[in-house]
Amino acid sequence: MTNPFAPLQPALQVITREAKVLPATGQAMEDLMRPDHEEVIDRLRQGDEKVREVLIESPNREAYVALQPIHRTDRHLLRYFLDGSARTFFLGDAVEGNRRSPIHVAQIGAAAVWRADSGALRVAGAVHKIVLMLDKKALSFSDQVERLVQEAGPRFGFLDTMEADGESERTAPGKEPRSRAAHKAHHRMAMEEEKLGRGLERPSDQWLVLDGSLGKDLHPWHDVSSFFGVTKSFSREPIFKLPGARGGKVVNLYELLAALPFSFRTCAFAARSGKVAVWYVRLREQRQLDYPLMGVIKVELPNPTTNAVPTDLVNELSCALVAERQATPHGKDIRWHAHLYPIYMAEQTVKNGFISTEALKAGIKWPTMVALVGEG
Amino acid sequence: MGPVEDSPNPQPASNGPETLQIGKASATERAPNSSEKFYFWLSGREIVNPFDIVEADQLEGTRTFGLVTNIEQSTDAPSHLSNFISSDFGSVETTPQTPRQGVNVAEVSVLANFDPAEPKKYPMGIYMPVQSDSPIRFADEAGIHVALGIDKMFDYEREYGEKITIPAGLIRMSNGAKVRVFLDKRYVLGPEGAHVNIAGISGLATKTSYAMFLIQSIIQTVGSKDIAVIILNVKQNDLLVIDKARKNPKPEELAAWEYLGLKPKPFENVRYLLPWGKETQTTGLPNSFGEPPSQYQTYAYSLDDVIGNRANRGPGLDLLIRVPDPWDTLGALIGEIQHGIANQEPSWRPVRTWNDLLNGPPLMQAGVPQRVSNVEARSVGRFVRVLRRVVRNRQSGVFVEQRGERRAVNLGEEIRKIEGGQTTVIDIAKLTDEERALVFGHIIQEVYAMYAEASVDDSGELPKKVIIFVDELNKYAPGRRDDTSSSILEYVLDIAARGRSLGLILISAEQFMSEVHGQVIGNASTKVIGRSDSAELSQAAYRFIPQDVKAHLTRLDKGELLLSHPIYRQSVRIEFPMPAYQSIGH
Repeated sequence: MTNPFAPLQPALQVITREAKVLPATGQAMEDLMRPDHEEVIDRLRQGDEKVREVLIESPNREAYVALQPIHRTDRHLLRYFLDGSARTFFLGDAVEGNRRSPIHVAQIGAAAVWRADSGALRVAGAVHKIVLMLDKKALSFSDQVERLVQEAGPRFGFLDTMEADGESERTAPGKEPRSRAAHKAHHRMAMEEEKLGRGLERPSDQWLVLDGSLGKDLHPWHDVSSFFGVTKSFSREPIFKLPGARGGKVVNLYELLAALPFSFRTCAFAARSGKVAVWYVRLREQRQLDYPLMGVIKVELPNPTTNAVPTDLVNELSCALVAERQATPHGKDIRWHAHLYPIYMAEQTVKNGFISTEALKAGIKWPTMVALVGEG
Repeated sequence: MGPVEDSPNPQPASNGPETLQIGKASATERAPNSSEKFYFWLSGREIVNPFDIVEADQLEGTRTFGLVTNIEQSTDAPSHLSNFISSDFGSVETTPQTPRQGVNVAEVSVLANFDPAEPKKYPMGIYMPVQSDSPIRFADEAGIHVALGIDKMFDYEREYGEKITIPAGLIRMSNGAKVRVFLDKRYVLGPEGAHVNIAGISGLATKTSYAMFLIQSIIQTVGSKDIAVIILNVKQNDLLVIDKARKNPKPEELAAWEYLGLKPKPFENVRYLLPWGKETQTTGLPNSFGEPPSQYQTYAYSLDDVIGNRANRGPGLDLLIRVPDPWDTLGALIGEIQHGIANQEPSWRPVRTWNDLLNGPPLMQAGVPQRVSNVEARSVGRFVRVLRRVVRNRQSGVFVEQRGERRAVNLGEEIRKIEGGQTTVIDIAKLTDEERALVFGHIIQEVYAMYAEASVDDSGELPKKVIIFVDELNKYAPGRRDDTSSSILEYVLDIAARGRSLGLILISAEQFMSEVHGQVIGNASTKVIGRSDSAELSQAAYRFIPQDVKAHLTRLDKGELLLSHPIYRQSVRIEFPMPAYQSIGH
C-alpha cells in the first residue's frame, strides 16, 4: 500500500530546507477545537440580534405547538442529511530568523446520506481533502510551499492559518496560529459542506437537513430549495418575546425551553432580519434527561422573501423531526439526546474515510537533512 | 443493485460475475484475517448460513475457498442500554425512523486455495490471509470440489482409469445450489483408510437410512460384484424388506438419486436370516417383527453350534457370559467345557444339549454344582446360574436343544457362504442383549477368520470386500472397558485396526459416539454425525469438530448430517435421498 501523504513530501522538504524545523514531540499530534465550538458558531452567526420578538409564521400565534410525529412510512419528507468533520494535526514549528509558524495538516471531509423509504441509508455524496496549513506571512518561502501542495493533486489543499475569514479569528480561543488552526480547518470544512449540499441533485419534495446553524451568507443558496439547518448546541444568549395577552411576556432561553413539552415546538421567530425562521423542537421527554436544554434542537429555515412562513410547513418539518428521535447514537456521542441519527451517520461516513492517526503519524515524517543532502 | 427507490443515483443492473458477489472480505484491528480464517461483511440483502462454502479473490489471480462457520451481527450501539434508549426509552411499539446501522459479518474457515492458471504458477496455493475488501461469492460445484479436495479424486480417476468416487450426498447452499459430494473409495474400503461411523440421537431415522444409502452408493459405483454386505437388523422390521421397491417415492428424491449418478433401486440378491423363536416350532414363523420376507432362512443355536467342533469352532460360550470375572475363573471353566465338548473327551461325551450341560454331569449332580478340574464347585454354580438365565429363563427362543438341519441353519455356516454382490440381512431385533452379542460376535469371528486365516488359494474365492453394518455399536465396543466386557470387543478392535488391509469394512452407528471405544472411532476414517445434544458434543470424541460448528449440530434436521472425511479439509453438512426400498418401520 502506498503512503497517502507522499505527495506532500516535496512541500515538507522545502520547509525543512528553508527553515529550522522543531518537530512535534512524538510525531504528529492532534489539535482539538474548543469543546463548545458549535455553540460559539451559532452565537457568532446570530450577530447582534439578542432579542427574538417577531413571530414569522402564520397563522399560528401560540407560543408552543403540539406535534404528531410523521413517520417515513406515512410521509417521507426528510431524505438527505449532511455533515462534515475535520481533524487537525500539529506537525511542528518552522523557524525562519525571528519568525516562526506552526505547520499543521488537516483531514477535512463532508458527506451527505440519502434515506430510502425502507429506512436504509446510502451515501449521496462525499468529499475528502488533506490540507497543509501554515502562517503564510511568517515564512518567506510560503508561496513555494503553497504551489507544491497545489501540484500534489486535487485531493490536497493549502490554507493560510492566519487569513481572516470572518469566523475563525473570532471563534478560536487565542490569537496564536497554533490555537487557530483547528478552527480554520473547521471553517474550510464548512465551506466543503455547503458546496456539497448545494451540489446535491434532488427533487424539491426531498428535504435536505444540514448539521449546525446556517452559514452567514445564504446568497449562494438562493437557487436551492427545501433545506434547513439543525443545531444541537446553540447560543443561550437570546431572549424571546412570547405572544399572549397584554403584549405577551419576555423569557430567556432556559425559561422558554423549560416550558416546552415533549413533542412540541416553539413558535417560529424571525432571525437575521427575517431571512431565517428559527424555532425549537423537543425530541425527548425532560424527565429522561438532566436539564431543560437537553433533548431540544434548534431549527433554522431559510426565508429569503422575509414573508411569514406557513405554520403548516413549520409543523410538518417539526413533526418529521420528532420522528427522527429514533435511533440515537447514545453511548457514542455525548450530544446523543439532540443528535439526528442520519446526521450522525453522515459524520461517521466522513470520519471513516479519514486516514487513521497511526497511518498519518507514520506517513508524515520530516525529511532529515541527511536525506536532503543525499538528494542533492 | 436494487430497485430505483433504493438508490439516490440508480445504476443499471450489472451483468457478469460481480452480480454474484455477496460481500467483501473484512480485516480489522481486533479481528484480523489469517491463513486459517477470514471474515467478510454481507451486503444488505444477502443470506448465508453456517456450512455454506464461499470463495474469495486472492493474490495473483488465485481464489481461496472457505467454509462459513458463524455469522454475527454488530451495530454501532456500544451497549444494550443504547438500544433501549434508542427505542424511545423502551417503547416496543415504535419503529425507528432510521434503522440502526448494523452489519452481518460471516466467519470463514479457509479450506483451499486454487490457482486457475495452466500451468499453475502456485501449485501449492497461496495461503496468505484473504485481503480486506476482496470480493466474496458463493462457490459453485467445481469450486466446492476444489475446496474439499474432491477434484483430486477426479484427477486420479482420469489418470488411472479407476472409479474411486462414491456419491455421499448433497450440500445445499443458501443460494439454492445443490452440490454433489463424493467419498474417496480408498478411504472407505481401504487401503488408505476404512470404516464409517455414524452417530446421532435416535428417532430421526437418519443414521440407518444414511448407512443404507451409502452401502447402495458403494455397490452401484465401485463394486457391485466384488462386495458382500452383511446387515444386522436391530429395530422392528426396518431392514427386512430392503429388496422391495418403495411405493410412491417422492419425485424430488428420485431426482436427487439421479443427480448423484445413482439408480433409486432396492437391494438385489438379498438373503434374510431370521432367528428361531419359542413359537417357531408350532407356527413355522421366525421370531421377527411383522410379516417375514417371502424368502428367508431361520437360524438357531444348539449347544454344538455355540461350541463347535475341532474343524469349525463356534462363537463360544464366553460371548454369553457377560458378568464380572476378575480372576478369570469363569473363563477357565468355559475353556474346560469347550475343550471337553469339542474334543469329545470321555467325561463330556454325554453332554449334547443345553439341558445336559446345565443339569447333568460333569457340572451338576442331583442339582448340586460339582468341582470341575481346578474350578471350585461354587464357581461352577455361578456359571450354571448365569448360563441358565441366558439360554433358558430369559432367552428369546434362539437357543434350541437340537437344531433340525432342515428347519434352521447354523449362522456361522451361512456366513461362510457369502458372495460378492450379495446382501445378507441378519435379524436380531427381537433377541436379548446376550443373544445379540452372540450373533454379532459370531458374524465378525467368522468373517474375520475367513479372511485372516485364508490361504492364498482360498482368498481368490472370497468377495474382495465385506461390508458389515451394525447399529448400536456401543453395546459391542463400549467406550468404558469394564469387567463385563466380552471378547467381542477384541474382534471389533481387530476389524477396526486390521480390517482395511483384509477388506473387512465396518459401517457402524450409535447414538453417542462418546460411548464407543476410542480405537473404533479413531480407525473410522469417515465420521458422520446427525443431530446431537450439546452435552454429548462436549465429549472428547468430538474434538475434531470446530467449536462453532458444534453449536449447529444441535439443530440439524431430519436427513441432514455432518460429514467428515480424510480428504475433506473441513466437515461439511450434507443431505441425502431416502433409501429406495420400503421403509416399514419409519
